[in-house]
Amino acid sequence: MTVFLQSLISGILIGGVYALIGIGLTMIFGVMRVINFAHGDIMMVGMYLTYNLFTLCGIDPFASVVICIPVMFLFGGFLQKIFINRVLNALPQNQILLTIGLGLIMSNTIMLIYTSDYKILTTSYSSGSFRIAGISISEPLAISFLITVIITAALYWFLMKTDMGQAIRATAQDREAAQLMGINVKRMSVIAFGLGTALAGTAGALITPTYYIFPQIGSTFTLKAFVITVLGGMGSVIGATLGGVIIGIAESMGAVYISSGWKEVLVYVIFLLVLLFKPSGLMGKSRM
Amino acid sequence: MNSPAKSAITKPPKSKAPPVTYLLATVALLSLLFAFPQIVDSPYTLHMMILIFLSIILGESWNILGGYTGQYSVGHAAYFGTGAYTTMMLMQYAQVPPWLGVWVGVAVAIIVALAIGSICFRLRGPYFVLASIAAAEIIRLTALNVKSFTNGAEGILATDIPPLKLGAILITDFSSKLPFYYTGLILVLLTILMTWLVQHSKLGYCLQAIREDQDAAHSLGINLTLHKNIALIISAAFTSTAGSFYAVYIGFIDPTSVLSLDMSVQIVLICIIGGIGTIFGPVAGAIILVPLSEALRSNMIAQGLFKAGLVGEESSIGIFLKDNLAHSHVLIYGILVVVVILFMPEGVLGFISKFVHGKTRRGVS
Amino acid sequence: MKKYSVLMLMAFFSAIPSLSPAAAIKIGVINSITGPEAPIGENLTNGTKLAQEDLKKKNINVDLVWEDDTGKPQIAMSAMEKLATRDKVVGVVGPYTSACANAVAKLAEKYKVSLLVPAAAKEEITRQGYKWVYRMNAPADVYASVLIDAALSMGKPKTIAFIYENTDFGTSTTKTAREYVAKKGIKVVADESYSKGSPDYRSTLTKIKARNPDLVFMVSYVADAILLMRQAREIQLQPKAFLGGGAGFTTAEFAREKEISNGVFACTQWTDDVSWPDAKEFARRYKSRFGKEPTYHAACAYASMMVMAETAAKAGGDREKVRIELKKGKWNGIMGEVKFADYDGFTNQNRHQMLVEQIQNGKYETVFPLIFATKKHLYPFPKWQ
Repeated sequence: MTVFLQSLISGILIGGVYALIGIGLTMIFGVMRVINFAHGDIMMVGMYLTYNLFTLCGIDPFASVVICIPVMFLFGGFLQKIFINRVLNALPQNQILLTIGLGLIMSNTIMLIYTSDYKILTTSYSSGSFRIAGISISEPLAISFLITVIITAALYWFLMKTDMGQAIRATAQDREAAQLMGINVKRMSVIAFGLGTALAGTAGALITPTYYIFPQIGSTFTLKAFVITVLGGMGSVIGATLGGVIIGIAESMGAVYISSGWKEVLVYVIFLLVLLFKPSGLMGKSRM
Repeated sequence: MNSPAKSAITKPPKSKAPPVTYLLATVALLSLLFAFPQIVDSPYTLHMMILIFLSIILGESWNILGGYTGQYSVGHAAYFGTGAYTTMMLMQYAQVPPWLGVWVGVAVAIIVALAIGSICFRLRGPYFVLASIAAAEIIRLTALNVKSFTNGAEGILATDIPPLKLGAILITDFSSKLPFYYTGLILVLLTILMTWLVQHSKLGYCLQAIREDQDAAHSLGINLTLHKNIALIISAAFTSTAGSFYAVYIGFIDPTSVLSLDMSVQIVLICIIGGIGTIFGPVAGAIILVPLSEALRSNMIAQGLFKAGLVGEESSIGIFLKDNLAHSHVLIYGILVVVVILFMPEGVLGFISKFVHGKTRRGVS
Repeated sequence: MKKYSVLMLMAFFSAIPSLSPAAAIKIGVINSITGPEAPIGENLTNGTKLAQEDLKKKNINVDLVWEDDTGKPQIAMSAMEKLATRDKVVGVVGPYTSACANAVAKLAEKYKVSLLVPAAAKEEITRQGYKWVYRMNAPADVYASVLIDAALSMGKPKTIAFIYENTDFGTSTTKTAREYVAKKGIKVVADESYSKGSPDYRSTLTKIKARNPDLVFMVSYVADAILLMRQAREIQLQPKAFLGGGAGFTTAEFAREKEISNGVFACTQWTDDVSWPDAKEFARRYKSRFGKEPTYHAACAYASMMVMAETAAKAGGDREKVRIELKKGKWNGIMGEVKFADYDGFTNQNRHQMLVEQIQNGKYETVFPLIFATKKHLYPFPKWQ
């Protein structure tokens, strides 16, 4: 029973970080239908930003989120305006290759600056944990889960209650119709990409105290982000959150009750099953 | 969906009798390629040619599904790896020679393809792409975990290739480049012939119709699932052959080298850089990409600059280049990919023909 | 178009002759400079650079031809083809990964160029009877046996749990470990592989904790080692000893995380306090030159380059002579005594003595074998705070 609860709890906590990556991608994918293969690399840039803020300025990784969000937002807006915008109507494989190219540029530039060494960011609480009824809970993961919840709630409010949020959602639902309604879809795309980038960067910032950094780390998270996004439903913030937690739990349970080698297969099988039987995702409206 | 593309589908172009000059040029090129190992005996150059052949085969195979049918699979490593693993496992564990194993590889790849197709072809656009990636990843992880069959991450090392008797010739030396050069060349010609046949048959028009507009093609009475599956089978069979060829040539396979997402992306890249949906797009893509990445990787550019006397080897720029170019070849590669996608969205061939003829090439959506 | 390209290609690959003064000895280096293996490759690069400087001091002028294999076997092969036939090097040091080394070994044999593998663990590399392939480091089976032997000499462990990354290094080391513990009568209670780079191992560790093993044997690269130990502490996994199979458990970063790494045993090819000649001096200079502690990869690369260059200089750039000299020679340097021998199915394998070190107060202390021990070992593993 302890084994079950322990893996459930750690699955949920790690799912929180996954969710943040997934939400970032769902914004981009939802609004632009661009398969962004650079998402993990963007997250990696966020990690290095946090690392620098910590080692050079002594800013705590969790506090650095305040800086990370605006900086990464601008970075994302820049990427969208200069590169992504030009391929919005191109074939999907051209979009994929463009983002793969951008990812290569990001990871290799970082490698030239920082070398390919692993960087580990050790805070006073990096390996801290507390126990409730025999189940240990990682302190940094618990904090980052809390921050994820706050950010998700704020984003949800922004998308639901503000004019701009509604414009973004309208663009996500039907680009042409949104344009006909007088929404500046180009601007919405820039904002959506900026938000997606900021969220990926934030996820990077939140995971650094418990994880490690090296320039090629992005690819680990890119595919996971897609699985989460499709699972939850395109453009659905709640869906991506749910997707992240489900994937977290699936991995955790898979490792315990099947084997850690097979846990990722489980994730992809869930992904394909969802695509087959509920292609719109758990929370999405039908889009097929 | 531009009008030249439409007209290409609705009205099959009459096959013109090739002018004598074209015929002569083709014959000259072919004899040059067949005589090449006699002229140049540098194993390194032959190795590069073999890698180019491999890329052409892969590019042409992907082209049938991605270029002509518009099903943008980013999971072709699944078929490549299936071919490589089947051939290698049969050779190492059952002493089946690779030229027989390759057929088993093709059969297995077709079964795998039909299984993947039955899932992925229900989906469209980005969903299809993601599903194809997921399917290929499942196969990679399976190869990694089923250790008793595939030897897991340790991979399979080819130890002995049995001798091959071709009529009067007995080939025993498989460390020589020659058998692989000629096998590769013949496979290239076969895949090009196959692409030509597909493009000039009714099948080709059905496939292109599906690419241009699935719903319209359906309403014209084209059986979507059937045609997509035919394209997939052709594509997977040739990709699997390339995988077997790779396995025997390199002599070592593991899940990372033959089944990874990276492999799938490389295959797509060959086509996109060259130009999709044309016979010679993948050929151009391979001829550009393989030597280019090798030149970047082995720092030939800096050496060329030193040699030409443009930059002094001991000057500060020279030292900077020497120190950094080795680390930045992937960066330069990334920049080139971005530039080609942004400025030559129809690939290099498309760009050239647009430039030369001032019009869009036939067969690009 | 195609014809032109082919012609240009021919010109490109055959016309550019290699450029180097005749005096220097040409040696090829194949290493993972970019790509996923780059973090470790970096150490080999640094070790090689230091060797190059030292060779200059010894008046041996080497011209190194660097080749990046990006961690892929087919690219490592391209590199080897180029080095052997176009650059005409007298010997090659590298590649780092087992997969690449395996693919390249075949070519070394074909082109008759001596290949000295500095740090790849896969046993098969020197088990195929190749005459031209040499290896500096001890292969995977020693990683396991030296650790298990150390554990058996300290106590009476009955059960063991394996957790290892699903790479060539991880699986082949664990495979030999499994065979070795079977011989020694230790029962395997858990056997878990994982994909490297996963942020959460808690559930796997929880599962292992439930089986309550005496020994936990882990094989991981650099950063995963820290993650594994952090999370082991979190869930209070408490075996009699944690055994780390090289790589990630032998880095300075790992030792610096005192809270989690104190008391962990690790096997290694080299330590910076070992009594082998110049080892301490190498560590000091490496640190001042690159600003970080050397790993055993760096030491292996350094020693390999020194051996290869000295041999090549002595043989005057003759490939056949280099091979004979490598086979005959005996060296004594930072890796201890180096000699390439044939034994137990291995050919040209340096019978390198692996060491077991333990982290005590944030520092690596060599604890096994006893003749090299600098401190007494700590056993069993202290209770988590």
